[in-house]
Amino acid sequence: MRKNKIIPLIMSLVLGVLPLLSGCGDEESDVITLRVSSWEEYIDEGDWDEDELIDLDDGTEIFGENSLVEDFEEWFYETYGKKVKVEYSTFGTNEELYNQITIGDVYDLVCPSEYMIMKMMREDMVEPYSESFKDTTDEGNYYSRGVSPYIRQVFDKLNIEGMTLTDYAAGYMWGTLGLVYNPEFVSEEEAAHWSLLQNRKFNRQLTIKDSVRDAFFAAIAINYFDDITTPEYLADPDYSDNLSKKLNLTDVETVDSVEAILTDIKNNVYAFETDAGKADMVTGKVVANEQWSGDAVYTMDQADEDGLELCYSAPEEGTNLWFDGWIMLKKGIGDDADKKMAAEAFVNFLSRPENAIRNMYYIGYTSSISGGDSDLIFEYMNWNYAAEDDEEDTVDYSVGYFFDMDDPNADENYTVTIPASQTRRQIFAQYPTKDVVDRSVVMACFDDESNIRINRMWTNVRCFDLGSIFE
Amino acid sequence: MKKSYFDRKLLAIPYMIFLVLFVILPLLVVIYYGFTDAQGHMSFSNFVAFFSNGRTIGTLVYSFVISLVTTTICLLIAYPIAFILAKGEYCRKHAFLMIFVLPMWINFTLRITALKEILTMLEGNLAYYPFMNTIICMVYDFLPFMIMPMYNSLTKLDDSMLEAGADLGANKMQVLIHVLLPLSIPGIISGVTMVFLPAMTNYVVLDMVYNSTYIMGSLIGSYFSSYDWNNGSVISAILLIFIGMFTIATNRLVGNTEGGRA
Repeated sequence: MRKNKIIPLIMSLVLGVLPLLSGCGDEESDVITLRVSSWEEYIDEGDWDEDELIDLDDGTEIFGENSLVEDFEEWFYETYGKKVKVEYSTFGTNEELYNQITIGDVYDLVCPSEYMIMKMMREDMVEPYSESFKDTTDEGNYYSRGVSPYIRQVFDKLNIEGMTLTDYAAGYMWGTLGLVYNPEFVSEEEAAHWSLLQNRKFNRQLTIKDSVRDAFFAAIAINYFDDITTPEYLADPDYSDNLSKKLNLTDVETVDSVEAILTDIKNNVYAFETDAGKADMVTGKVVANEQWSGDAVYTMDQADEDGLELCYSAPEEGTNLWFDGWIMLKKGIGDDADKKMAAEAFVNFLSRPENAIRNMYYIGYTSSISGGDSDLIFEYMNWNYAAEDDEEDTVDYSVGYFFDMDDPNADENYTVTIPASQTRRQIFAQYPTKDVVDRSVVMACFDDESNIRINRMWTNVRCFDLGSIFE
Repeated sequence: MKKSYFDRKLLAIPYMIFLVLFVILPLLVVIYYGFTDAQGHMSFSNFVAFFSNGRTIGTLVYSFVISLVTTTICLLIAYPIAFILAKGEYCRKHAFLMIFVLPMWINFTLRITALKEILTMLEGNLAYYPFMNTIICMVYDFLPFMIMPMYNSLTKLDDSMLEAGADLGANKMQVLIHVLLPLSIPGIISGVTMVFLPAMTNYVVLDMVYNSTYIMGSLIGSYFSSYDWNNGSVISAILLIFIGMFTIATNRLVGNTEGGRA
């Protein structure tokens, strides 16, 4: 009888104790633990095939043998003589990351998008970068020395409640929001405007992102199309600021018009897609879809393998300039100077030109790094896109603004000769031209009241309209 | 005797811990958030907001209709299958049962993806018939969950009951309506419970077949992703009320048939 009594007791004890056990980790004081969270598939995970070796014209060879995280741990030990252990985890959306953090997950370094960075700054969650990180005389500060002057300028301009983004965030990847289209069915002119999404000619053959902000941007650009494309508006010296204000309006009237436009789009598109858009473009289910530039590169690469030519357009009336950046979280870093140093070293390590290239090659997005003194990034662009010598139909493609903003002749120094078709394809998605970035705006972080209004609008668009039965 | 009773009680402890941690606590959290506002004060405003917006009610109705149609079709298909499987006299009975239950072993997103490709081949463009495609995929997804409980209750059913009905002069139709159906009601109810409520929230199916209209599940998800725990929770609570009402109603129904039999 005794035996019978013990077994259930043990069972209940084991069940009760198990969760406690997992909570106890070994604390080693000489190893710095860095908890990093970033987007899924957003860093080079190594293990490249041998034929993937990148051999640039200047003789540099770049190859991803191990993951960048492992390489960082090794590099950190060699450089600083201290051991660091990176706990790398991923998230699927900015909101998911924010919810994880507010529920109690602790991270030291995370990589959300611009509006989420600003939201977290506003809520006093972000630890500023140290002065030594920004010191450009230090050879080891790969980020501050290597970040594109264009990205730096965007960061300098963006501020929230008196805090400038430059002090709190380090840019990682950036790009535009646009339309991937199949030139066999959709003309360049049709794809040049967001109104393509309302075009009944392509009824049920278009997709749009299942994301409030991305859908909102397309609709607000359609709403103010007439206002923002007049010659006077475009010629205004304050054009850039005006456009930014206009496309960030969230008043009742604007949101109501956006609701009407999105409802119309909903009745025209194939679907609001979360992830299927890329594959549906390649298989030909749809002829155009709204896409971030990095995913557009990926989509076009995939289609190329199947012998299908797809193009990318950043609509003329305005596009959304987005970026993801590394921010340190107060809750994780605390007063731990070693940890902060390791977090900044991680950002610097990823900003080394050869590592930025590994990331770009691996994930298809555009790094914020232009390389500073190093020409590697430009060499990589050449390696990637330059036309073959026997190519006949070529054009010169200049992206001086990205590499050097002070030199008026920068465009001459940073010009790649590419096949003519590329001007609407991968290189255009990865490194947009100056005129595209001139008419791009960063979508701000909305205040709570606007967020409620916009989310209610979104619910109204997506929920079932009983009235539609009687139409 | 007393001692062994004490032992059994101990066995229940792990289960109780599980129940409290994973059933009761989450439920309390849902109810707490559902009936407080963003500042944490007691409030019915979320509840009122849900029922005063025509669109959210529209989605409630839409989910309800999807669920109802799915359940009805599942029931109509599953009942004869379960009956044949349970009572049919043929060899390789178990192999047949396996064929119907086998899909349950495969991850449902894989199954729906496969079905989606077949539907695309047939229709060309899925976006023209979002409602029909949703129903087809839902039925495909939930059918095994309807067959299994009905099969179980029908195998347990005593054949002599049916024979007695026939002996007493009922024709086949009368046996079906007056003997077989009432006796299989418990199986039908557990089948319906396993299909009806999950179908109201299974928004992954809608996403996968490109139906961009929200059902209850997607609505909850959209509130949660915009950090609106309160409005999301109140919808979960409303669904809970539905489940509660449904369970009470079915218990009554089962009670009545059992009472009728006695």
